[in-house]
Amino acid sequence: MKNKLFIFFISCLGILSSVKAGTIKVVTTTTDLKSITELIGGNKVSVSSIATGYQNPHFVDPKPSYIIGLSKADLFVTVGLDLETGWSPQLVASSRNTKIQKGAAGYVDASIGIGLLQVPTSANRAEGDIHIYGNPHYWLDPLNGKVIARNIANGLERIDPSNKSIYEANLQAFYKKIEDKMKEWKAKMAPFKGSKIIAYHNEWVYFETRFGLDVVDFMEPKPGIPPSPSQLVKVIKEIKADNIKVIISSPYFTTSSSDVVSKQTGAKELTLATSVGGFESIKNYFDLFDYDINQLTTVLK
Amino acid sequence: MLLFTGKISVAQVPADSTAADSILLKQIEQQMQSGIQPAPQQARSSLSFNPDIGVIGDFQGSYISKGKRNFNAYLNETEVSLQATVDPYIRADFFLSFSRDPETGKYGAEVEEGYLTTLSLPAQLQLKLGKFREAVGRINPTHPHALPFIDLPNAYVNYFGDEGLNDEGLSLSWLLPNKKFYQELIFQATSGLSESPSFFRGDNNRFIYLGHLKNFFTLSDNSTLELGFTGITGPNDSSRTTNIGSADLTYKWKPVKMNTYKSLTWQNEFYFSRANLLDSFSINSFGMYSFLQYQLAKRWFLTGRYDYDQKPYDKKIVEQAYSLTAGWYATEFSKIELEGKTTDDNIDKRFYQAWLRWIFVIGTHGAHQY
Repeated sequence: MKNKLFIFFISCLGILSSVKAGTIKVVTTTTDLKSITELIGGNKVSVSSIATGYQNPHFVDPKPSYIIGLSKADLFVTVGLDLETGWSPQLVASSRNTKIQKGAAGYVDASIGIGLLQVPTSANRAEGDIHIYGNPHYWLDPLNGKVIARNIANGLERIDPSNKSIYEANLQAFYKKIEDKMKEWKAKMAPFKGSKIIAYHNEWVYFETRFGLDVVDFMEPKPGIPPSPSQLVKVIKEIKADNIKVIISSPYFTTSSSDVVSKQTGAKELTLATSVGGFESIKNYFDLFDYDINQLTTVLK
Repeated sequence: MLLFTGKISVAQVPADSTAADSILLKQIEQQMQSGIQPAPQQARSSLSFNPDIGVIGDFQGSYISKGKRNFNAYLNETEVSLQATVDPYIRADFFLSFSRDPETGKYGAEVEEGYLTTLSLPAQLQLKLGKFREAVGRINPTHPHALPFIDLPNAYVNYFGDEGLNDEGLSLSWLLPNKKFYQELIFQATSGLSESPSFFRGDNNRFIYLGHLKNFFTLSDNSTLELGFTGITGPNDSSRTTNIGSADLTYKWKPVKMNTYKSLTWQNEFYFSRANLLDSFSINSFGMYSFLQYQLAKRWFLTGRYDYDQKPYDKKIVEQAYSLTAGWYATEFSKIELEGKTTDDNIDKRFYQAWLRWIFVIGTHGAHQY
């Protein structure tokens, strides 16, 4: 009996010490934030993402099972603006975890400091699913990745100041890699500067601006409104008039309307990844741009 | 222009009290010098401490095959929601409802729900205080506009009425430390002042007590199962006790990748009631519903429902009903639904009903339960 008690006591100690030396639990809303958190946090963090990389980040189902992870999280990282408004505030409020509530040290809004595009001058839902703070798909500009990384590093340093030097070093390494990769990506995209393209949903503005593309129209007549026959006719005319070569879409949209337009015009349909994990080969934030840029440059040639 | 852009982007760099700041500043300066300008910055929309305000309109037309007045059209309900965080410790949710009294035809206002929820209790506890829709299975906590049909299941109405079990008191919920699946235990104690067919607050100190255990299993990325058990006990209008036990089972299939285009929900609730009416006389009754909702396309939903119920006052009267609802969800903010229903019992002859409703939302309305 004494022996058993002793073993129990030792194993309790083991659990306690493993918690102490353990990693910081981070829950992110999207896989891009997960990837950047892993790059900044290194072996000090264990990160999980609520959304997968191949699902529409506007419409994630707030399953109660996500609350389990959130209730134990030390840090919560959100894209912010109103991208996740339909699901993440409800999950965070239900988590009973004071550490990650808005305003607490463990709450990171990755959008702080981002130069926002398409900030509406009026909030009117007649314009479809517009975002009152501006277009929230900002992680699709690699230089915004640096701002996101800074915000995440700030969050990690707030809750774990003892490892600040590690986070700062990882942050600098991340900056450096983004800058190096940026040169490569820009060089690849340079021949296609000003290329006109059609997109399914208005989620490419940051990517477009950074790499000098020109998204002339969308398959959706208004953000969030499914393609209508009159919109398809309009897009077909534009493709023919401007000799547009490609229609870009995302893994979570149906291709039926793009198929029609593609058949009518000969423009190629291209499903690009909007997040890490959008396709199996995209394992981290750098892979995301490698993948999309390789795909685009192949089609635009 | 360069100066203007530069100034603002520096001002919006996240605050950090360390030397890292100056490194970032240098980088931004370098970037700007090398011609890679940050995107133009714009201020965010105005901030305020006003709560999120939403208004939901529910306009309905109805038909019934029996009686003299067969057709009707009415603004069934106008719901005003006001929701915000109060301070670091609690949040508040108010739902005010304006609707016509079917008897008098006059409009009246009532507090449909109004409660605070704690954000910072220890031990995975959460306390709710105020007037709220109680935690009986799946239908009762849901506002009617969010249900995939227009009428309510017969068995549910028998026990809880058209307004549902919605009472004043406190609710304590505990998130069980279960790592395998989600488990929540809820205990509610309410005054019984908001009457329902099953419960009645008499001239004494007897309250309504409710316990609910929610189990939520993630079967795969695309499918989930919820199994819940509820027990309620409280005084009835005979100054004796009514006990209700219920179970709910919900299976959902929603492919993660195409979750806005295809989904399927199969939801069931079973109610058992024992109403003690005299010292040696009690009535046991049973009722249930089962519905299957299938999403045909991004905007189209079809829901078929079966109702079975024994009347709580006379279990020999057995009712069965079938209904079919087609829903067109234009956006997240409006939907049109058409429902047909046929009801048959072992006393009266079969009758038919139909409804058409248009739900429309302005402002901000919080997310609904999964």
